[in-house]
Amino acid sequence: MAHGHEQHGHAHYGPKTLPSNLDAPAIVRAWRTRLLIVGALFALLSLAFIFTHEGRNHILRAYLMAYMTCFGFAGGSLAMLMLQYVSGGKWGLLLRRPLEAMTRTLGLVALMLVPILFFMKHLYQWALYPTTEATAQALAAHAINAEQALTANAKRAMLSPVPVVVQSVIIFGILILLATLLNRWSLQRDSDPARGTQASFDRWRVRFENLSGIGIFIYVVLLTDGAIIWIKSLDVTWYSSIWGLQFLVGQGYAVLALCILSVILLSRFEPMKTLLRTTEQHDLGKFIFAFVMLNIYLTFAEFLIIWSGNVPDEIPWYLNRIHGGWWYVCTADFIFHWVVPFTLLLSRDLKRNKTKMIWLTCWMLFARCLDMFWLIEPNFKDAAANLHIHDNIGILAYITVPVTVFCLWGAYYLTQLMARPLVNVNDPHLEEILEPEHAH
Amino acid sequence: MPPREGTYGLLAEFNTPSELVHATEQARHVGYRRMECYTPYPVEEAAEALDFHTTRVPLLCLLGGLMGLTTAFLMETWINVWAYPLNIAGRPLFSWPAFIIPAYEWTILFAGLSAAFGMIALNGLPQLYHPVFNAPNFRNGATTDKFFLCLEAADPKFSLTETRAFLETFPAVSVVEVEH
Repeated sequence: MAHGHEQHGHAHYGPKTLPSNLDAPAIVRAWRTRLLIVGALFALLSLAFIFTHEGRNHILRAYLMAYMTCFGFAGGSLAMLMLQYVSGGKWGLLLRRPLEAMTRTLGLVALMLVPILFFMKHLYQWALYPTTEATAQALAAHAINAEQALTANAKRAMLSPVPVVVQSVIIFGILILLATLLNRWSLQRDSDPARGTQASFDRWRVRFENLSGIGIFIYVVLLTDGAIIWIKSLDVTWYSSIWGLQFLVGQGYAVLALCILSVILLSRFEPMKTLLRTTEQHDLGKFIFAFVMLNIYLTFAEFLIIWSGNVPDEIPWYLNRIHGGWWYVCTADFIFHWVVPFTLLLSRDLKRNKTKMIWLTCWMLFARCLDMFWLIEPNFKDAAANLHIHDNIGILAYITVPVTVFCLWGAYYLTQLMARPLVNVNDPHLEEILEPEHAH
Repeated sequence: MPPREGTYGLLAEFNTPSELVHATEQARHVGYRRMECYTPYPVEEAAEALDFHTTRVPLLCLLGGLMGLTTAFLMETWINVWAYPLNIAGRPLFSWPAFIIPAYEWTILFAGLSAAFGMIALNGLPQLYHPVFNAPNFRNGATTDKFFLCLEAADPKFSLTETRAFLETFPAVSVVEVEH
């Protein structure tokens, strides 16, 4: 500890000064270039799968998985942004600008949905047989079973091409509106002529709280709808009322992992070097630990309820995801998603260690993808209870396509991150965050 | 055990945590090891300056948790498979999904109790007597707004005169001798 031996004065216990330049460091531009290069390479690799058996279908499914994960980042960051406005706290100030940058990618994520809507016939049974007549014909031709036909007809009002497009437009319309307002106000807050005064703090705090409180509720409703129409409806017969919450918690898990990764990487350079204290990093570690617990809680609760019920309507969903090689995937999912983050995050020293947290958050982001793979792929006939690579090399698109999409999304996120100073200055927490560690 | 007599140590009183931490760092720097800080609220820098060892509480908590987990899980297994086998909706007797929740609850219960009682035990509590309470200013200040550093006589470097002179180089409000 070089600073521990100063003989006179207590300079190292005094408050730190805010760096004069609060913009994202120049290195972010280099990170973006690297992401684009990796993205381009993986895009080329993905193209190779077009020519394999079932390759195009796998590319589309893998793209759906990548889309849903990116939606998780963009939408989840909006929820987290609103959450930190209503809860307050120094962690919120620290994450605010990265979260805002993620919410500003919502427009891109909305565009990313277009190919899925365009090719929906190849993903969703309800889109392939969009009318009662088409469903009846498919049933007569034994393409679907009676249960699927009956459920598809019963759910037609929600699950058919036009309603799904309308729902998607509504979801993105409202989310983008919320994100735009929060982002605009955040800049106005910094340029407030009365900034730095209690009156200004209170005025903005109340304004943000009033939108965020109701915004969180609206988000949860819209997310539940989105998760149902985009992912759950891949299996038209399945019901689960915990589904939306499971995605919500998964998004919190992923967004926090990405935020922690962002601020730790940024903290190698000013201004984040001054802003990120071990105290806040420790707090964020505890927060993500809560999401790790909540995630396994909801996932296991869903399984336990269906296991106890033992109803023929529900259990095939799990059987398709356990039998035929999927046991390895769901065991890996459990270990990656819960066992490893849980046991490691128990450690106080690990939560306060920058390098280890970088590795762990990357690991957790990978675990989210593995979970999404396990949710999506077994919905399809050739993969249900039958995980195989022989004559099915296209399944590797689940690696290349998401990497491509994440790199592109990540590059856009970094572009947005560079657009604003890395900290919101008109906030009373700023003074606290500049205090030395543990000053009470 | 006969009552211990003589000097327990020298107690310096400070008005701010920064002064306390500074003095503690210096005391360590010149070679004192047997010392303790007393503050009205946790001052992590003081613990750092003392080079306070990592505690065993996390280990106790972990062991307690594992004990709860295995106890509950094995107990449920024993009851359901051997002690009182019941056919519940045709499921196997060893239906582990149903055992998870009680095992989880026991994990938390045992971990929590081990952490709380382990912490109390490792702190040496309950402790009915401590010499620093013999200093009148300690009784008044230690739980409100004063910060104390006690250099103990058990330290080989301790000397009534030199240690007092050393402590008086800091802006201490007072330096008092504490009897056993």
